[in-house]
Parts: sequence; structure tokens; C-alpha cells
Amino acid sequence: MINFLTKIMPNVIDNWSGDNGILLGIWQTLYMTFWTTLIGGVLGLILGIALVVTDQHGILANRVVYNILDKIVNILRSIPFVILLAVAFPLTQILVGTTIGPKGALVPLILGTAPFYARQVQNTLVQVDSGVIESAEALGYNPWTIITSVYLREGLPDLIRTSVLTIISIIGLTAMAGAVGGGGLGYIAISKGYQRYQNDITLVCTLLILVLVFVIQALGDLWARKVDHR
Amino acid sequence: MAEPIIDLKNICVTFKEDQRDVHAVDHVDLQINRGDIYGVVGYSGAGKSTLIRVINLLQRPTNADAAVQVNGTDLLNLKASQLRDERRKIGMIFQHFNLMDALSIADNVDFALKKSNLSKADRKKRVAELLELVGLTDKANDFPSQLSGGQKQRVGIARAIANRPDILISDEATSALDPKTTVAILDLLADLNKKLGLTVVLITHEMDAVKRICNRVAVMEAGRLVETGDLLQIFSQPEAQLTKDFIDTTTHLESALAAVKQQPAIAHLKVGSVLVQLGYQGASTDQPLITELYRRFEVSANILYGNLEILQNTPVGNLLVVLSGTPKHTEQALVFMKEQRVSVKVLEKGTEEVAHD
Ligand SMILES: Nc1ncnc2c1ncn2[C@@H]1O[C@H](COP(=O)(O)OP(=O)(O)OP(=O)(O)O)[C@@H](O)[C@H]1O
Ligand SMILES: [Mg+2]
Repeated sequence: MINFLTKIMPNVIDNWSGDNGILLGIWQTLYMTFWTTLIGGVLGLILGIALVVTDQHGILANRVVYNILDKIVNILRSIPFVILLAVAFPLTQILVGTTIGPKGALVPLILGTAPFYARQVQNTLVQVDSGVIESAEALGYNPWTIITSVYLREGLPDLIRTSVLTIISIIGLTAMAGAVGGGGLGYIAISKGYQRYQNDITLVCTLLILVLVFVIQALGDLWARKVDHR
Repeated sequence: MAEPIIDLKNICVTFKEDQRDVHAVDHVDLQINRGDIYGVVGYSGAGKSTLIRVINLLQRPTNADAAVQVNGTDLLNLKASQLRDERRKIGMIFQHFNLMDALSIADNVDFALKKSNLSKADRKKRVAELLELVGLTDKANDFPSQLSGGQKQRVGIARAIANRPDILISDEATSALDPKTTVAILDLLADLNKKLGLTVVLITHEMDAVKRICNRVAVMEAGRLVETGDLLQIFSQPEAQLTKDFIDTTTHLESALAAVKQQPAIAHLKVGSVLVQLGYQGASTDQPLITELYRRFEVSANILYGNLEILQNTPVGNLLVVLSGTPKHTEQALVFMKEQRVSVKVLEKGTEEVAHD
């Protein structure tokens, strides 16, 4: 078996473990994806909810706050990620003490993800039936209860779907961040596969990323279907 | 007179649109007594929803000198948290039911009890009790998407009365339902009014709904209440043209009259013949009036159109009749009927000479 694998993809077997090995790459990709999803997700969620409730038809309508948040999201979203990687350098240095490796990639990844996800959350939650929100207000619930028990509850199926989309795009971003020093499967695919003409490495890294995407998509779909009663 | 449970004074709601102001509610006073089923009718855009949303301040009046008293509490001067407590005493149901798709029927009702002080077990009991009250016990574990419109509205009602409110506001709650389901929901509301002493405010554009369960009515047009009063009074003596139009949507009297007047026999009434509209209420209906007219005055009555409504157990009738006799006898017949507490409105008097051979 090993012999067979060695024959068809010699470079993959050579570079499997150890420093800069594929195994480490998988770990680094998961690391970046996980923390970006967690931190960027929470920030994006808060930002997205804030946009929905301060909207002119929202339960805490506030033009000034809405406009400020809206501008921040727009600006961050219009910076191409490759440039964000460079622009975020000083901030990264301050926040995590390094600008290289998976840890160094987290700050630009989060900066790139949070506003993107905030818009997704906003677009999802504004679709929650305003009549349902009104009925909750008529029942005397405060904004916090309405957010947690109505918006997030009613919006959950679509929120799961957009979150899956976001995680998949985060995986894409980690590959890009990897290429400029973040490590991970993307870095390996470029530095070892592409630049050294070791096509088997490129192929395997691509497949691994695909598997990751499919698993996340499948789990997300399953969950969304389970909570969707429409 | 009873203290009103809802007392709105001088309510204005003005929406600022780009160029102009929309006066959705324009200086309205509204008093609703405890135990009333109060109908507010008006065409689309009249401001009905805006007005009743003022009752629980989902919509605040935009003028400074408005007063909103509900259950003796001045709502306009409450802190946000106090207002939320008061809102819990005002149930509300909606045209599109507004249930949560993500929750089962039982959980939708339970949702209303989130801020109640009931224990978990008591909440469960209360939900079961409410579902029983609206006849949906067997649907407890279903989801809203599995229910018919009428069933969804029953869930809406169970949710709205979960906290034992004194008032139930219904904003076009039957407008999305078929006639039969509409009647069932209206009867449920009337039943709750009787059983629980619930004061009901019923917004609708269907006069049939008002006729079925309301005891008082307000007619709304362009942000104003053009006429208010007891159901019987409004039906038997409507004053505003809009009120007449609305009543006609259920009695069809005006439309019948227009059709009747087209007939050649009516256009050329003979001398001694009159086209009259007879209105009667309650006891006067029991008299064999028509027979009596012939027996006493030899005046014959030709009934062209008739309508009988039973409003709050009182029959209210309207007839379009041609009375024919000698001119003198016809006059006597009209006087006689007025003595019998029948309202008589002469619509046409015959002018054509009777042809002699
Ligand atoms: N939030 C709002 N902003 C601006 N204008 C509004 C708003 N709500 C209502 N209006 C306007 O106020 C007027 C009254 O509306 P309202 O919804 O109270 O009427 P309605 O009698 O309930 O009508 P319907 O039978 O269609 O429900 C309409 O002209 C409407 O366009
Ligand atoms: Mg309305």
C-alpha cells in the first residue's frame, strides 16, 4: 500500500509529516479556520444584529449608529483581502506579537471575515417577518429578548446556511493568507506544489481542502434542515 | 356610566413622508367600555391599524397633547419597562397570524409566558389549558406550517390571551380567512368576551363581522372617526354617507333601491301609490302590518325588497314597498304605520293620473 502510494505521489509521502509537512498544513488550516470562524463570527454576528436593530425600521432604530456601522462594514468590505493582509501588518504586530504563521494571519482573516459575515447576518435577519417582531413587542418583550428569542430563533435556518458559506469563504481566505506567510494547506500547495512542480502535492492539498468544504457544507445542511420548519 | 377601559383623547399620528405629511390619525377621541366588543370599520388606508396600535403604544401619538389611558393607567408617562408590563395586559392578534415558524404550536403559546412568574410545570398546564380553549389540543406538537389559516389564528388567540389580558385587539384577524372560518373565529372571540369578560377591539373592513359580534361601532375615514355609536343605532339610523355605504355592503338596501327605481312601474307611479322604505326594530316586526293596512284602509302593499338582520338578538328590518290605494287612504296608512313605531321614508310619490276608460 505504502509502496503504491509512494509510486503515484512520491512528493506527498516525502512531505507528509515534519516541519512544513502536509499534516502540519492541515492543522494550520484548521487552526486558522476555527479561530477566524469563532472570533470573526462573533464580531460579525454582533455587528450584523446591530445593523438590523438600528435600521430605520428596527426595534432600536438609530440613524447615527446605523450609518457609522454601515460605513465601517462597507469600507472594510471593499478592501481586497490581499491588500488587507499587508495593511493589517502593524495591527497584527500589536495584537498578537507576530506577523507570520497561522497566528499572524488571524488578524487580517478576522478583519476580512467579520464585515462580510455582518452583511450576511443583516441580510438574513431583516427577512425575519416584521409581524412576528411586532407580536413579540406587543407581548411586552425587551429588545434583548426579541433579538435572542425571535431574530436568532426565526433566522436560525438561514443563519446556518449563510454561516456555512462564510466558513467556506474563510477556508479560501486561509489559503490566500497562507501564501503570504500564514502557513496551512494553501501555503504548501503554492510553495511546494506549484513552485517546485510537485503536482501531486498541489492535487492532494486541493483535495484535502475540498473534503473540508464538503464536510462543513454537509453538516451545515443537515443542521439547517433539522431546525427549519417552514 | 361605566369608566372606559380604553380612553384615547386627541390622538394624532402624522408620518413624515419625503414631501408631505401623512395624517394617518387625525385628532381622534375613542372611549371603549369594559366588556365591549368594539368594531372599528373603514376602508384600506383609513388609519385603523395606526389608531389601534396607539392603544398599546406600538405607535406613539405624534402630538404632545394626546392622552392614552388604558385600565386607568396613563401609558404615555411610563418608563419603558413599565410600559412592557402594561402591554402584557393587552393581547393582540393579526391578519397574518405572526406565529413563529421555528416553534411548535405549544411553544408558540408558551412564548407568551416567558415573562410570567409561573413555574415550568404551571406554564405547561396553562399552555394545555389555552390550547383546549381554542380547540387545538391535538395540534400541540405540530408546527405552524402544518396548520390551516383558521387554526393558525386560533394559536394567535391562545398566545394573545395567555397572560390573561383585559383587552384583546384584533387587527383584521379574519381578513385572510374564508367566510366559514371567519364566522368560527368571530364566534370564538364573542365567546371569550362572554366567558372571560375580555374587552375586544375589532378592526375590520367587513361589516358582516361587525354585525355578527360587535355591540359598538366606530366608522373611520381619512384618519377621523366619522361616526360612533351602538350597533343597533348605527344600523337603524346611520348618518354619515360612509356608514350607509358600509351598512349597504351587508343589507344591499341602497343597491336594491337603485335597481328598483329603474323599473318602469316605479318610474311612472300612479297617483295614490307611493314607494316607501319601511324600517322596523324589535317588537314592531311581529305585527301583521301588511294585512292590517289592507283591512283598515284597503291599501295594498307590494314588497319589492326586504332585508332582515338580527343584531344583538334584536330583529332589524328594512322593506322597500309600493303602497297603493286612494290618495287619502294611502296617507292614512302612512300615519298609521308611524304610530306603530315603523320608520317610514317616502321615496317616490305617484304623479301619473289613473287612466279612466
Ligand atoms: N410606518 C408608516 N410610515 C408612513 N406612513 C404610514 C406608516 N404606517 C401607515 N402609514 C400610512 O398611514 C395611513 C393609514 O395606514 P393604516 O395602516 O393605519 O391604515 P388601515 O386603515 O389599517 O388600512 P388597512 O385596512 O389597509 O390595513 C396610510 O396612508 C398609510 O400609508
Ligand atoms: Mg391595517
